Parts: sequence; C-alpha cells; structure tokens
Amino acid sequence: MPETNYDQEMAFFVDMQRCIGCHACEMACAECETNGQESMIHVNYVDRSKSTQTTVQVCMHCEDPTCANVCPADAIHQDEFGVVHSANTSRCIGCSNCVLACPFGVPKKMEEAELMMKCNMCYDRTSVGKKPMCATVCPSQALFFGTKEEIARMRPDSVPVNSFLFGKQEVNTKVNIMMPKGTDQLLIP
Amino acid sequence: MYRLIKTLNRRALIKAIVAAVLTVIFVLMGSRNLQNFDPALIAYLIGTVFAVFGIAYRYSVWLQRPPTRLYWRRSMQFLFSRYFFPYLWRSIKLFVRNIFFQRFIAFRSRRRWFGHFLLATGCMLAFAITIPLTFGWIHFILKPGDDTTYYAMLFGFEAGSFQLGSPLAFIAFHGLVWSSVLVTIGAVIMMKRRFTDGGLIATQSFENDWLPLFLLIAISVTGLGISYDYTFLEGKTYQFMAVTHAITVILFLVWLPFGKFFHIFQRLAQLGATLYKAEGKRRGMATCPHTKEDFATQTHIDDLKKVSKTLGFNYDKEDGTNHMDLSPEGKRSALANAHLNARKEAGKLFG
Amino acid sequence: MAKLPVHVDKLIEDFGPHKAYAPQSGFHGSNEPDKLVKTHCCYCGLQCGIKLKVKDNKIAGFEPWEDFPYNEGRLCPKGVMRYMQNNHPDRILSPIKRVEGKGFVPTSWEEAMSKTVSEIKRIQDTYGKDSFAMLSGVSLTNEKSYMIGKFARVALKTANLDYNGRLCMVSAGGGNKKAFGLDRSSNSWADLKHAEVILIAGANVSETFPTLTHYIWQARDNGAKLIVVDPRMIPLARTADLHLPVRPGGDSALFGAILKIMVDNDWLDHDFINNHTTGFQETIEAVKDYDLDWAEEHTGIPKEKIYQAAQMWGKAKTSFLLHARGIEHHTKGVDNVISCINIVLASGRIGRPYCGYGTITGQGNGQGGREHGHKCDQLPGNRDITNPEHRKYISEVWGIDEKDMPGKGLSAYEQIEAIHRGEIKGMISICFNPLISLPNNNFVREALEKLEFYVCIDTFLSETARYSDIVLAGSLHEEEEGTVTTAEGRVVKINEAVTPPGKARRDGEIIMELADRLGEGDKFSFPTSEDIFNELRVASKGGTADYYGITYQKIVDNYGVFWPCKTLDHPGTPRLWEDMKFETPDGKAHFNPVKYRPASEMPNKDYPVVLTTGRVVSQYLSGSSTRRIGKLVDQYPEPLLEIHPKLAFQYGIENRDLIKVKTRRGEAEFPAQVVETIREDTVFIPYHWGGKFSANQLTIDNLDPVSKIPEFKVCACQLEKTGKKASQERRAEAYQSGL
Repeated sequence: MPETNYDQEMAFFVDMQRCIGCHACEMACAECETNGQESMIHVNYVDRSKSTQTTVQVCMHCEDPTCANVCPADAIHQDEFGVVHSANTSRCIGCSNCVLACPFGVPKKMEEAELMMKCNMCYDRTSVGKKPMCATVCPSQALFFGTKEEIARMRPDSVPVNSFLFGKQEVNTKVNIMMPKGTDQLLIP
Repeated sequence: MYRLIKTLNRRALIKAIVAAVLTVIFVLMGSRNLQNFDPALIAYLIGTVFAVFGIAYRYSVWLQRPPTRLYWRRSMQFLFSRYFFPYLWRSIKLFVRNIFFQRFIAFRSRRRWFGHFLLATGCMLAFAITIPLTFGWIHFILKPGDDTTYYAMLFGFEAGSFQLGSPLAFIAFHGLVWSSVLVTIGAVIMMKRRFTDGGLIATQSFENDWLPLFLLIAISVTGLGISYDYTFLEGKTYQFMAVTHAITVILFLVWLPFGKFFHIFQRLAQLGATLYKAEGKRRGMATCPHTKEDFATQTHIDDLKKVSKTLGFNYDKEDGTNHMDLSPEGKRSALANAHLNARKEAGKLFG
Repeated sequence: MAKLPVHVDKLIEDFGPHKAYAPQSGFHGSNEPDKLVKTHCCYCGLQCGIKLKVKDNKIAGFEPWEDFPYNEGRLCPKGVMRYMQNNHPDRILSPIKRVEGKGFVPTSWEEAMSKTVSEIKRIQDTYGKDSFAMLSGVSLTNEKSYMIGKFARVALKTANLDYNGRLCMVSAGGGNKKAFGLDRSSNSWADLKHAEVILIAGANVSETFPTLTHYIWQARDNGAKLIVVDPRMIPLARTADLHLPVRPGGDSALFGAILKIMVDNDWLDHDFINNHTTGFQETIEAVKDYDLDWAEEHTGIPKEKIYQAAQMWGKAKTSFLLHARGIEHHTKGVDNVISCINIVLASGRIGRPYCGYGTITGQGNGQGGREHGHKCDQLPGNRDITNPEHRKYISEVWGIDEKDMPGKGLSAYEQIEAIHRGEIKGMISICFNPLISLPNNNFVREALEKLEFYVCIDTFLSETARYSDIVLAGSLHEEEEGTVTTAEGRVVKINEAVTPPGKARRDGEIIMELADRLGEGDKFSFPTSEDIFNELRVASKGGTADYYGITYQKIVDNYGVFWPCKTLDHPGTPRLWEDMKFETPDGKAHFNPVKYRPASEMPNKDYPVVLTTGRVVSQYLSGSSTRRIGKLVDQYPEPLLEIHPKLAFQYGIENRDLIKVKTRRGEAEFPAQVVETIREDTVFIPYHWGGKFSANQLTIDNLDPVSKIPEFKVCACQLEKTGKKASQERRAEAYQSGL
C-alpha cells in the first residue's frame, strides 16, 4: 500500500435512530473516488407503511470478515488498520457469496461489471487523514467519525458497541453502533 | 528445507509435479524427441515448465478452499447434467465474451476495458506464438529447392506455407512485434489511470499493481529491441537484447503463479459462477421473509450456509431459521429493528 | 403570450428537464481541480457552506467545507448534488425567442434586448406604467434582490413588483413585525444547543432543512425535550418526546389552548410580561374559552397530549420555538405565527442564551431577499413603501424624485388575478416558476396565456418560461458574486466559481443593460457586486434590517455577520433583544390577540378529505434545477398521495393504486402510498412537479389578508379510485412535467 496517514485514533460510530433517511450519505458516497460514482452505503425504510424509520448501513469492517472467508477468489483483503477493502478487481469473479453471506447486508454486486463493491471507509480520504464522505456530510450525525473521547462527550446517554450476536454467531467489528448505556452487545433475534 | 517441504500441500504438490511432467512429455512428443526443439530457447522452456508447476500447485491449493471447492464441484455437477449442451454453449459464449474480450470490464470503465483488452490480447497472442515455438511444436523451414516459400511445421507435419517477403510472411514473422505494441499501449493506458484516478492512487500497491505493468512493458520493449536490432542494427546488439528479454520473460514466468497474473487463471471461475446462477435459478429462488422479494437462488443460500459453517461461521437462529435466509435489505432492517428495540427497552428512542 | 409555441414534448426534447448524471469516474479534473471555491449551497435558507471544485472554468465536484461554523461540512442530498446543476445539458446558453410552430430558437442579445425594451415601452405607453409587472425570486443574492427592487421602481417605473417570497415567509414576516417590529429569527441556531424544550411547528426539518437536525439532536443529547407539531409523523417526529398530529389549519387553536393552560397554571414570566410587553390582557381574553375539550375538537389532537405539551413548554427554563411553512401557508398564516409568538412572550424566554424563537426561511435567500425592496410594499432596509420618510430616504439614495417612486403594488397572486382582469399586460420574471409554485395553477396558466408579452431571465427553460416570448440566458448561483442572508440572519458570501457558459450572462449585467436601455443607465452602473452591496448598505442604513456595518471583507473574516450591524466596528447581532429594546414604536414586544378561525375551505360532504401539500428532501421548490439532477430525481421520482390505511380502506385503496384527487379547482391523478404516518382525515401530496403531476392544480388560491400568502396547506378534496395501478412509465416521466 502507498504511504498512509490513516489515523487509528479515529473511529466510526453509527446510530440508526438518528437517521432521517435523507440519503445525503448515499449521494456523497458516490463522490468518494474509490468507487467511481457508485454509492456503497445503504439507506432504506425499514417498513414505510408503518413508520418513517430508516436505517443506514456502512461496512462494519468485521474483525474476522465473513465476506472474505466465503470469497472463493481471495478477493477481499483486510489491511493492517482493520479496513476490509472492496473486492480486488482482478480477482473478483462476481459470484455474490459475500453479498449473501455478510450479516450486515453490505456488499453490492455490480451485475454487468461482474464485480462486488463495498464500503472501504473512504480509503482515499481516511488514508490521508480526512473523514469519510458519508460521516462528513451526514446532517443528523447518525454517522459520526471521530475519537472515542469525542463521542463519549457528545452522547452522554449512549455507549459504543462493536459486538453483535446473529443467532449463534458473534461478530465483532471495527465500526461501532451507539447503544443505551450498559449494553455491550446487540442481539439480532 | 525440511520445514519448507513439510508446509507444502501434498495433494497440490503431486498435481503440480504431474502437470510439469506432462508438459515435458508433450514437449518431447511435439518436438519429435527434441528434433525440432530450438536449443536457444532452453531457458524459456525451463521457465515455462516451472510456471506450469507453480500454476498447477497454486490452482490446486486454491481449489481446496471450501468456497472455491464448492464452486468447482457445483460447476462440474451442473455442466455435466442433462443440460450439458445448453450450459456448454452458454459457457463457450461467455468464454469468448468475458475471457477473450473481457467485456465485463467495460461496465467498470470503457477506457479501462480498452487498456485491458489491448494488454490481454497482446499477451494471449504472444503466448499463442511463443509457447508452441518454445516447446518445439512449430518450426519453419525452407524446403530444399524452394528458397522463396516458407513452410510452417506443426508437430513435425507441414501445416501451411507462405511466400518469403509476402505481406503474410511479414505479419507472421512480426507477430510478437504486434503483440508488444498492443501490450505497451495497454499498459500505458492502465498506468495512466493509476496516476490520475484518486481511488486507485489510494488503494494501489507497488508489487500488485505497478510491478506487473512495468514487467509487461519491459518484456515488450526488450522484445521489440530484438526486432529493432535485427532490422536496423544488423544484429550488433543481439546478445544484449536477447539476454535482457530472456531475463524479463523468465521473471514473468516464475512470478506468474504467485503474483497478480494468477488472476488470468482464476478468471475462469467466473464461468462456473454464471453457470451456478443459471442452474440455481432453474431450481428456484429464495424469498426474503422481510422484503417478500426473491433475492438469490435457494441453492446458493443453502450452499452458503454449509460453506460458512465449515469456515466456522454459524448464523443459525433459535427458531431454526438462519440469518442468511434474509436478503441484504432484510438483514439491514433486522439490525435496525434490533437496535430500535434495544432503545425502546432502555426507555428512550433517542440517546 | 398565447399557448405553447409547439407541443410540450418538443419543448421537453429541446430544453428538458433531462436527468444529468456525473460521468462514471467523475467530471474531468475532479481529482486535481484548479481551485476550490468556498461558497454556499443554493437550495435552502440554511445556506450550508460548501467548496466547489473548479477545473477549466467548469464545476467538477464538491468538497465539504468543514470550517464553516454553521454546518461544519454537513450537507443534505441536494447540497451534495448541488454542483450538478452546472455543466447541465439543458442549460440555456444564449437568449432564445419563441417561434410559433417551432418552439424556441437562439437569438442575439441585441435582438432579445431591443425586443424586450420595445415591448415594455409599447405596453407601458398603451396601458400605463403599472401594466408591466415584475416577478422575482429570493434564491437571488442580496445584491440582485436589491437591484431588482430598484430596477422595477426606477427603470421599469412599475408598482407591480413582487416575489416568490410571497409563498414563503411573508406570514412569519407579518407576525414578527407586529410582535417585535422586526422580521428576523430572534436567535442564531447556536441557541438551540442547550434549550430545555424545543417546539417545532409545521417545519419538516428532517426533509426541508436537514442540516438543522444536528442542532436539534445535539440539544437532545444535552437533555432537551422535543415537541413536533405536524399532521404527519415526519422523520424528526418519529423519536420525538411528543408528536402532536395537528389537523391542518388547527395551529392557532393549539397555541391558543396552550396559552390558556399556561395562564391557568401561572406558567408565566410576569416580570417580562409587565415590563417588556403590551397587549397581554386582550390576548388572554381572546383564548379564555379555549379549554381542552374545545382544543381537542379544533386541533384533532388528544387533549392529554395538548396538556402535556403545554406543561413541558410552560415549565421549561430555556426553550426554542421554530416554525415554518406548515403553519404559515394559511389564510390565517399571520395569526398562526402570532399565536406562536404569544406563547414565547408569555414564557418570557427570549433575548437570553438558549431562549429562542424563529421561523426557518425556506428559500436560498429567503431572509435577505425579503429585506431590501423585493416586495410590492417594501423598500430596502425593510422599509415601508407607503411611509413618506422611508420613501424620501430611498429616493435620495437612488437619486430620483420621491414623486416618481411608485407606490404599493400587487402581491404575486394578485398580479395573476390582475392579468385576468386585463390590468397587467406584460411581465418580466426572474427566478420564479409560478406555474408550479402558485396555487390553483390552471388559473395561473390561463393568465400566462393572456399576457401580451412575457420575458424571463432564467438558466433553464422552466415550466413557466415555456410560455414566454423571450428568455434571457442568465446565471446560476455559482456564476455571480454576492451575499445572501441565512435563515438565522447571518450575511454570508457567495463566490463566483465559474463564469456563465456560452453566451449566457450574469443576471446583474442583464438587469443593468435593461435599465440602461430604459434610459436609467446612470443609476445602474455597478462595476462589481461589491459596489451594489455598498449602495445596499447605505440604503439599508437606519432601517430595521440595517446592513451598514457589514462589508465583504468582514463577512469573509468572520464566516458571516449577523444583522443588524449598524456601524463598521459592530460585530453583528446573533441574538436579538438582549437589551429588551424591541423595534416596535413603543420599544416593547407586542402580544396580539388571536381568535381561532377555520381554514377557508373546510371539508364537507362533497369534499370530505383534507388535502395538504409540502416538500420532499430530494427536491427544491419548483424543481426547475433539482428535477434536472438525475440522482435527486431517482430518489423520489414522482409525487405520491400519502394516505392513512383507515382512510384507504374506506375507498378500497391499496399501494400504487392510481387515485383521482378532485377539488373545486381541478383534478389530478396520483399513485397512493398507504402509510400510518399521516392523520386519518388528511392526505398529502408534494408539489415540486408540473403539468399533470402538479399538486397545485388542486390547491386553493385564497390568501391571508395581511401577508397575502396562499393557503397551500389546507383545502378540501374528493378521492376517487381510477381502478388502475400507477405505471412505471408515469413514474419515469414525472420529472419532465409533461401534460
């Protein structure tokens, strides 16, 4: 990898209950230069007929990424900062294993390009010490990029959680979700 | 040394040795017991045999990974099914489209496709010329008494002829020049992208992205050097040109199984993946319990559950379902709802 | 003019809207721009800071401007995509003229200008000066707004100048002037941060002012309680502490009832009321009968919730009340605003830290554009055109005889009516797309068809411009330097990033040349935008909106300056009323009694359902620019009819059923979106689209008697199933506003 200024003090924090579903992150994501006008972030209504609740999903950058494990082409690489990168374009065979296996529903298959793409935490920006596009523009700061101290100061009622239990599977991630105080794991029933 | 051998994968090692031995046998047979073999090419031959060994080894190791093995088995199973002919036809079409023409790259970027197409075509053309020559499968002769007609000999049999000095001869004898030109233009296009595209600049690495391009250009330029020397310098620098070219080519061959160029062989798996999807679709789609929409083939989901378990991931839930039964959107919504409920339980939606 | 010169499909083919997307790998030079120009987003009154990337005199992308203190880089989807309005294939690159049977063809500036001026002269000579009207818009900078006010009065010599702010903040302006004597948000957004209670009425913050969300969330992190008053469960309301789903038109009843509860429980600041206000007794007298049962009946909100809101509001030590078009777009818009101000004044929570009140201005320069003579009754510095002293001062600044200054003219919608009456025969417009944004727009279209001559200054052929004789190719936000005043009263700098493409010219230059050709060139010779601003400073001096102490340099140095700023050494005024000296003649804040009255058209047996309108996050106003940006269009491609499942059940309506909505003014079809997030008696349609997709075919053109704002937010309608599902084709073509 080229010279990098990736700041490991900085972390990513998500709080979906703050999301207002405006899609600014989605528009901004496409401006990130690593994904050429394709948006990698997901914003969707959970059930529009009942509520305006939306959810926003960036790649959680798992410590042991399911996507990379199920990739038949060794195309998904996790770097020394824990950033799980988009598929290596020369290797990816477009099989969609990662798309279907990711517990967070993150990777996208570009059908015609036979290529998986996913959020790489705006590596072009974070590797030079800038914030990711989505968290920079997010008008509700449902997506926040900063230090643990900052978030602790700003959100006194919440704690960052980076452990998830999907059925029997525990998944630990680099990206945090803001949860009520006293929580250390989010259970997805 | 012992440790190194111990860490080798035995099954892959056997396959690789078999592949290398077979190559040598084919060389012996094709060149009529080295009768037609050009000793000047011995270094290239050794490099190629090593490359065959390495590729076979790595390919075999690669196929032992559970997800890859699954795709490989499924591809074979589906291909040799009662839909053999339609699937074969489909695979041939895709082979031409996606391996020869790499059309899928055009949907990533047209310029990138153009660069890659030139590069790949140049390489394939060069292999098509040099491998039979190196193996002694093809050689050219002037028959006694006919010093204006060249005869191409394939496996020792006459396979065609052309007039010396004819355009056909010019094209044939300069085949490697054309491929060098294609490769160079392609590599320059690809390099230019790496200078200007912010995304590539952020994620590229020297050994995986720049070195292969340098190497291809080096091979092309030194190859052109031989031609240049022969055409304009009357062979004065032949020794130098030949040695530098041989070095670059052999470097390329030795590196082929381990570096970026291995993707040429991995790419074939794309055909399997497409077949897998087609057969899966025929067998039935999986419907997401959240979105109520089809999102993948049921075969794929079932296979993935098994594969992920062999890899140590168990997404089974209490109720007997599996997290992978949900579509990506369904999973995102499940997470959002879990978060919403956790907030609700804590008494406040906002915090 | 007459009908369209050719079929609308031909106009769409030639001039769009077409959806523009960035090239796959971004615009040329987005990696290595020549420069990054610090400026602002053009798409709402919050005016978020943004940096535009420029390569070879073209906009190549954007970069968040994280240093700008209001938004610190945060943007909404419109802001992110704002740069896409430049480089647009639909852009009008030279003046064009209407040719019957052909559409619009390019013409020379000379021909376009001389034709325009000769038509102005012909019409004014034949029918009188006021027969030529002007409509303007407040997405324009302060400089342009000021110059247009001057142009209409000095060069065009017409009384009939009005602007699209008439559809935006006039009710708030009216209410604020009555109560405070000045029309501006009383506080900067910074005062939201530690407010104990935030009450937001009729402001869909999460969709129309998304970047303000952060301030509200920040306040909640600091312990604030959030009360949202809205007929719909908007995204902001979903997690709110209290959501009051008011029936459209019930706002003044709600605030009247809250005031009564405050009085009954003595949740009042008597010191403040006694020392700094007038009119309290009359005001509480007006609401003395508004008990909870009455309130529940007239607001449609359960009484427990009303009481809870009053309690939260009444007991708080600090608070911030915000409102927007939801309570202002009514025939009692001013009343609604005043009823809000009354509960603020009764609480005494104003003029102190974290004690705030304000309207959130919708348009890009909704604040500044409404201060400097853009309105039919107003002169720069928010002066009154009927006040002799004000007239005298501005006449002096402009170098004209006070007797030549036209008087009060007609407001925007009244101009349309005057066209029908034959009083207005010609019109010039800039930055206004009335065919989409005015109510009852079939009536508006007929008016446009009656005009003898209509000239537009525009960048794209808007739906209204399709009816023009000549379009003068003008400039975009990023093509002319200037200032705008944000919704919090902060004057910020708009920088020129690129020059207008092709033969298009800066709006300011076009206005100046027209003035020159009308014989008043000596009063319109401004070599730079800063020269205009310097004249504006003088013209505003001594008015309530006093900009005299603000200079371009000062704006740049301080990330904007809050007016009033009366002297060069004054730092500006983020928070008003700290000295408790209000701008009313008696220096006190005024309570004004508000008696609830129903909306002008209430539902009945024939028209049983309430129709309300509003916006979506991906579109801005009439969509002339945002309906041309591919990704914004795709986010919400067509207007949907939001309807509650219970009401839908009565009619047997399901999702995507095509529903005919009929009012006394017109009918139109919309796909149903069945959602529990709206009141059971109300349906909602967003208004950004034109032609057969236009919600404003249905809305009512009754105006508030004071502010002349139309009642967009309430009318009565019928619903009828067409028996068809809405098609994908319809969805795909809505943005083009075909007929």
